[in-house]
Order: sequence, then C-alpha cells, then structure tokens
Amino acid sequence: MADAITKSGFTAHDEKITARSSLFYRPQAKTGLMSWLTTVDHKRIGFLYGVFALFFFLVGGVEALLIRIQLAVPNNNFLSAQQYNEMFTMHATTMIFLAIMPLSAAFFNFIMPLQIGARDVAFPRLNAFSLWVFVAGAIILNIGWFMHDGAPNGGWFGYTPLTTRTFSPNHAIDMWVMGLQLLGVASIAASLNFITTIINMRAPGLTMMRLPVFTWMTLITAFLIVLSFPAITIALIELMMDRSFSTNFFEVSNGGMPILWTHLFWVFGHPEVYILILPAMGIISEILPTFSRKPLFGYPIVVFSGACIGFLGFGVWSHHMFTTGMGTVATAAFAMTTMAIAVPTGVKIFNWVGTIWGGHISMRTPMMFALGFIWLFMIGGLSGVMHSAAPADAQQHNSYFVVAHFHYVLIGGSLFALLAGIHYWFPLMFGRKVSEFWGKLSFWVIFIGFNTTFFPMHFLGLNGMPRRTFTYDPNMGWSNSNFIATIGAFILGVGVTIYFVVMVYTYFKGEKVKNDPWDGRTLEWSLPNPVPEYNYAVIPVVHARDAFWYQKQHKAEIEAEKAKAAKEEELHGGIHMPFQSLYPFIASLGLLIGGIGVSTMDSNPDPKVIVGKKLTVCFIGLAIFLYGVYCWALEGNEGYHIHLDNHGDDHKH
Amino acid sequence: MSSVASGAIDHHHDSTTSTGIPNKKLLMWAFLASDCMFFGCLISTHLIYRLHPPAGTPAATQVFSIELTSFSTFILLMSSLMMALAVNAIQKGNLKSMRASLILTIICGLIFLGCQVYEFNEFVYVKHLTISNSILGTTFFTLTGTHGIHVLLGVIWLTSMLIYSYTGRLTEKDAIDVESMGLYWHFVDIVWIVIFTVVYLLEYI
Amino acid sequence: MDRNLHGRIPTRIHLILYKTMSHSAVANHDHGNEHSKFEIFVQLAMLLAVITGVEIITVYLPFSHTTLVTVLMVLSAVKFLFVIFIFMHLRWDKAFCTILFFIGMVLAGFTMWALLQVFSVSNSIPLSSL
Repeated sequence: MADAITKSGFTAHDEKITARSSLFYRPQAKTGLMSWLTTVDHKRIGFLYGVFALFFFLVGGVEALLIRIQLAVPNNNFLSAQQYNEMFTMHATTMIFLAIMPLSAAFFNFIMPLQIGARDVAFPRLNAFSLWVFVAGAIILNIGWFMHDGAPNGGWFGYTPLTTRTFSPNHAIDMWVMGLQLLGVASIAASLNFITTIINMRAPGLTMMRLPVFTWMTLITAFLIVLSFPAITIALIELMMDRSFSTNFFEVSNGGMPILWTHLFWVFGHPEVYILILPAMGIISEILPTFSRKPLFGYPIVVFSGACIGFLGFGVWSHHMFTTGMGTVATAAFAMTTMAIAVPTGVKIFNWVGTIWGGHISMRTPMMFALGFIWLFMIGGLSGVMHSAAPADAQQHNSYFVVAHFHYVLIGGSLFALLAGIHYWFPLMFGRKVSEFWGKLSFWVIFIGFNTTFFPMHFLGLNGMPRRTFTYDPNMGWSNSNFIATIGAFILGVGVTIYFVVMVYTYFKGEKVKNDPWDGRTLEWSLPNPVPEYNYAVIPVVHARDAFWYQKQHKAEIEAEKAKAAKEEELHGGIHMPFQSLYPFIASLGLLIGGIGVSTMDSNPDPKVIVGKKLTVCFIGLAIFLYGVYCWALEGNEGYHIHLDNHGDDHKH
Repeated sequence: MSSVASGAIDHHHDSTTSTGIPNKKLLMWAFLASDCMFFGCLISTHLIYRLHPPAGTPAATQVFSIELTSFSTFILLMSSLMMALAVNAIQKGNLKSMRASLILTIICGLIFLGCQVYEFNEFVYVKHLTISNSILGTTFFTLTGTHGIHVLLGVIWLTSMLIYSYTGRLTEKDAIDVESMGLYWHFVDIVWIVIFTVVYLLEYI
Repeated sequence: MDRNLHGRIPTRIHLILYKTMSHSAVANHDHGNEHSKFEIFVQLAMLLAVITGVEIITVYLPFSHTTLVTVLMVLSAVKFLFVIFIFMHLRWDKAFCTILFFIGMVLAGFTMWALLQVFSVSNSIPLSSL
C-alpha cells in the first residue's frame, strides 16, 4: 500500500537536498513512514485526513447497523440498554467529528490551496499539527471500547446532569470530554490556518469575488469553527471541573443549573451543523456548473447566502430547546430566527436549479450524487423548517421525526456531496477515474438504501416513537416501519461497501486519465496529474471567475504571462518549499499521552502520595508537548528551493 | 524571501501577501477573535450565576478586596505599556531597549500573578470561599483562574522570547514575532479590563 | 467613536487623538518619529490609569443602579477600545484586522447579551433562589 501511495503522485523524487546549515536536522525523507509523519505538504495532509475519515466512517456505519439490528424487532435483546447508549453516542460523535468534519478537511486541505493558486497553506507545520491532534482526539474518543469503563455513553450532546460524576461515575465521559477538547484544538488551529491562507495567499488577480465557491465555503466554515468551538470548549471545561474538582457549574444542590450546559452546547452545536453542510454546498456549487457546462447561477447571491447562513447560524441555537420552558419571548424569538435562516438556504437551492436549467447536462457519477443532494437536502430542509414552528416542535422534539430530519440533511446533504467530491476530484488526486457503471451502481444502492431507512422515520416520529430508547413494545404500531428501516440500513451498508470497494480498486487499478477529464472551470484542473509537490510551476494570474475556463479561452495570453512569470520566479531564487518537520507530530503525541492520563486514569486516593501515576503520566505528556513546541519554534521556518528547467524537471538546492 | 535593504523593513506592510497584512498578524487577530468568544462564554457563565444567587451564597463585597484588585489592575495596564514599548523598540532595531521593556513587562506580569495567588489564598483560607463550596466560588475562581493561566502562558512566552533575544538570533526582521506576542499580551489585558468591571466593580453597586 | 469622544473629553485625549490622526495620515510608510509614538503610549497608559481610578470611585457614588452600570460599561468600553486601537495598533493597520477582531467581539457580546436575557426572565429563575 505504501508503495502505491508513493507512486500515486504527490511525492517528489528522493533526491538529497543540500540544505543550508541550521541548528536542527530537517527530515528529508520523501518516501516511507517518516515521510508521512513529517509531511507538511497540504496534499498529503489532506490525503491522511481522508483516509482517517473514511476509516471512522466505516466504524460509525457499523455502530449504526448494530443500532438498527437492535431496533429491527420489538423487545429485542441484541444489545443491552447500556451497550445501546454507547452505540448511539459513539455513532453520532464518530460520524460528526471523525467522519464528516475530517472528510471536509481533506478537501479543504487538498483542493483549496490549488483553487487559489497557492503552493501550500500559510502555516504548513501548524497544518500537520492539526492533523495529528485530530488523530489523538480520535484515539481518546474510541479508547473506551477497549477499556473496562466502556465507550462514552451520554449522547453526543452530553447533557448534564446525566454526564456529571453523580450519574456517570466512571471514565467514559472523561474520555468523551478530553477527546472533544483535542478535536476542538485541531479544528481551530486548522481553521485559523485556512482563514490566513484564503485571505492572504491568493494568486495575483484573484479577488474575493472571483474565488471558487468551494473556497468561499471553506472560508465561512473556518470562521464558524473558530467562533463556535470556544463555546463547547468552555462547556467542556466546566463539565470537567465539575467531574474532577467538585465545582458547582451543574450541581443543583449548590446553585448550579444543568440547563446552562444545554445552552452552551447548542451555542456551539448549531453552528456545528452549518460547519457540516457548508463545505458540502461548496462542493455541489463546483460540480453542478462543470456538469451543466454553465457558470454557477447567481454567484454573488450564492456566496452572500452562505455568509448569511453562517452569521444567522449563531442566533438560532435554542431551537434545540423549545421544550425546556424558556418562556414565550425567548421561544418566539428563536423560532423567528430559525425560520429566517431557511431563506438563504432556499435561495441557494434555487440558484443550483438555475445553474442546471438550460445547461448541457452530463450525467456522470458526481453529477448524480449532486442531483441527489439537491433533492434530499431539500427534503431535510422541509422537515427542518417544520421544527422551527415551536408548537409543532413540541410534538416532534426527541422523536424519530428529528432523526429523519437530520439524516436527510447529513446523509442526503453532506455525505452525498462528499461522495460526489471524491468521484469528482479523484482524477486530480490520483490520476485515475472511477468506472461509470460501478459509480452509478453505488449511487443507486446508496440512494435506495438511504431513503428506505430514513423516510419511514418521519412517520415513526409523528406516531410518537422517542429517540435514544433501546427497545419498544410490539403494540405501539412501530414494528413494521422499524423493520423496513433496518432493511434499508443494510441496503445502505451494501451501497457504501460497493462505493468503498470501487474506490480502493480504482486507486490501484482504475482507468488512468490525463488531466482535466471533466473539462473543469477552476484552477485546480489546470495542474498536471499527479500534482507536483510544488503545485504550480508558475503562479497563475487570474483574470475572471472560473479562472481555468478563462485560461482555456485565452490560451495565447496565458502562455505569454506564464513565460514572463516563470522568468521572474527564477530571478527570485526559484520555487520556495518548506522543510518537513517531526515536531508537530511530537507535540501531538504529548497531547495524546497527557490526554490519556487526564481522562482514563484514577487519581491516587492516598493523600501522602503527591505525584501519583496519573500526575506522572500527565507531566510526561506535558513535557513531550513542550519539547515539541519549543523545537518547532526554534527550528525556524526555512526551506529549500526548486528550480525548474525547460522540460519542467526540478532540481533542488 | 529576497533580502531586504537594511533599515528599510516596513513592519506594517508585507508585499508577499494579498492584503499586505503579515500572515502571523492575521493569524493572531483571528485567534483573538476566537478567544473573545471563549472568554465571552466564561464571563457569561459567571454573570448568569450572579443573576439569582441561591440563599447562603457569600456576599461578594465581604470577600473581595477592591484595593488589592485595583493595584493589580494598574500593574497589568502598565505591563501593556511596557509591551507596546518593547514592540516599538524592536521595530526600530533597538534590541537593548526591547529587552529592558520586555523585562519590565515580565515583572509586571509576575506581580499581577503574585497578587492573584495572594488573593486566592486570602479567599480560600481567610474568607472561606473555595472553588467547590459555593457557586460564586466556582465561577469566580474558574474565570479569574483561566485568565491567570492566560497571563502565565504569556509570561512564559515573554520569558522565552527574552532569553532568545540574548542568543543573537533575534533581529529587526523578527519584529513580527514580538508584535504577535504583544497582541496576545494586550488581549489578556483587555479581558482583565472587562473582568475587573463585571466581576468586581459591579458587585459594589 | 472619535466623534463621540471629542465632545466631552479633556485636552490630554485630544492630544493623543490629534497625534494618532496626524500620523495615520502618513499611513503605512512613516510611523512618525519615535518620540511621539513613545509619548502616545505613555500618555495613553496614564489616561487608562486615570479612567480606572474614576471607575473605582464611581461605584461609591450615590446614583441609581442603572446610571452607575451604564457609566462603568462606557468607561470600560473606552479603555477597551483605546487598548485595541492604540496599543494593539489597529488604528494604523489595515482595516481588515479591525473587521476580523470586531466579528469575534460583536458575536461574543451578542451571545452574552442573549444568554443573559434568556436567564433573566422569570421562567429561568432556579427554584433554589425563589
């Protein structure tokens, strides 16, 4: 596998680089394990995010199937109630934080710098750090499966007082808290990096209103992350303080209010769902124009709507809390803001339809997933706006109607778009194209399986079936729909399996293609495949939206510009590339060890022991982290240069 | 990447970026926007719990010492001045002056931390307000403690930068690093401006 | 902000504002001679100390709760803005830095306000406080 990866393209030749002398040895391996652990190349980092995301997607999928087996028939005892709690908690946490978000991050990393004509992100080592801290968080979240205390079991939203020490005495929730904190650090660091990159590293002529929509959505999502994650960071700190230091944030007997957790969680939680959907909308906004051979309809409105959704998303959080008794004014206010946010969302859908309308439609696999997205996301949006009416929500809340809603927007929406994106950009990343037959087959099986699973849940919910309960009585009238949903889930599982098998097969043996197989419109398609390590031999000058389309219509002008820019770049010393570094990985390792110490170990009850095992492990983790950070700071941000000769071959020094 | 003529570094414009803003400065301002939300939520928690304190909560005015806190507030303000002077100095290439200002910043920071430690000890052992025995204690110590940790991290960063400046590797072209650190330090100060008003002063009205 | 302040502030602040404005006119190429930058910073520090002193005295004044809270909020806001615009250099930097920070600051302020509103209504009073 490693060989295949190294042959796939975004690795350079294994030449010795005559580096300037510096205090620290800079890793130079271009192949093998060390090259992956020390990489700062956004393409490799994106690939790693994708690999981890797809792995955890399968884990989350298995968790879902186990839930569906348990619910297939009434009064089932396939899973105990306790196991069921772990399943739905981990299914949600895994899918949201370990599958959808990192899969989006894979595209942010790989595609966005290419779309803006950059050679990497603004802070390559910080990018690597984000990746490895994500892995650390993923490990801590899942380590409970292998421990006596079990996996986290308080729901993905961790409501107090259930998650306080009184009602969840063992370490399962501590692992959940610590895992999420690390994931928050990773997400915030990566988003700060992307904001800086998109604002500051655009190619000449690439004004903000010429940016590809996917890059715009990356920017807006990054803002959402850096502004919403602090809320959950604080909530988790308060919960951890309550659990470990007997504070009273959520301790009713001493003046605490558990509802505060719910508020702080959803102040984060609502923007989080827009974090999950906006990148998907960005991908769709790239695919539809390409396969309709038309520019995106109403580009400024699509961008502005995305920004509105992001901004308004901070003002709707209590629509998750309509039944908590906030009082008439608060409930009405949040109902109104929630209805308002449906408007920009609907506007985007009209713009997508307008894009397809009158276009020369090419029904390739990415287009099918994109069209599926429009339809299924719209259904999810309709059930969502039904929730926005607080009186109606009083019936829908906590029922399977909500489960139907969010699976339509998250699977029908986010997942379909991401699956579309994988097919769409596969030729760029790996130089191969997925077979149309197998791609379309996987689409149809997934489409049928998904709708079979979740459409009945609308009715289950309106007929009163509550969420998060491990079984139900046969005389409730829910049995048939549940059985159908379970069948659907397995069909969905088959569809996903086909998709994965096809993807892996194509990676190794798929049909090879030259660059730009879809006649694309955006800059990333102007690159050869495999994409060279340095991305652009010459930084392009951008003249219009859909920059590559312009380039294709004005070939002579672009050639002259390229020649001129190439000369200037040589005068400046060639293409500057950053050195690789192991320190982001080491710093993350420190956080992993410290995190394991904090969340999984018991304090020593003996008061005479000042520094017990737990504190020792925490200090070791901290020491490794500090060592990594200091070396990172001190090694400097030097790099090496690549010079291209007339044949485009590179020479490094 | 190309070398700059000496004395001609423009510290406020980076021609290699699309906006002219240096990358590190943009990163730090984005991070501070995020930190605003962080402290906003923490301060909200404190204020929410001061709206309807349960019976038996100690009266804050009996516990707080406004003289001590005013003193530490002045000290932190002075540290901000010193930090601004340090950045100003390194932007002129004046390493000696930068070091002196940094040392004063660190001293002010340490005095502030010392005051916090003293205050916490007073509250716990003399006034019997602990982090776990009342909701006031919980929110107060968590909020001011988190701020204190931010100050401590700042002091560690300042000290590291000071030591680094003696190795000969810190020159005018690295002013952006000192400026970024300065932005963080000033932010810690403005958070304290808010905390001093809403946590301490509001109790006395 | 400047217009609001000009009306009712003594000479020292006028001096600072005048100096900062005349230097921003020269914008990004000449950041003034070092003396006046140094002076601006020192004078601002003294002003901040004075405002802090005023705040401390204010809490002991016999005015209504609402008045005092408003005065304190305004004074703190003034200190806050002075530090970010002058010590943190936003006055002389590209406007985008200001926009970036204000997005976070305004959102944090709005979230705080909304949370306090929700918890202030009678429905939200915890039973233990009644």
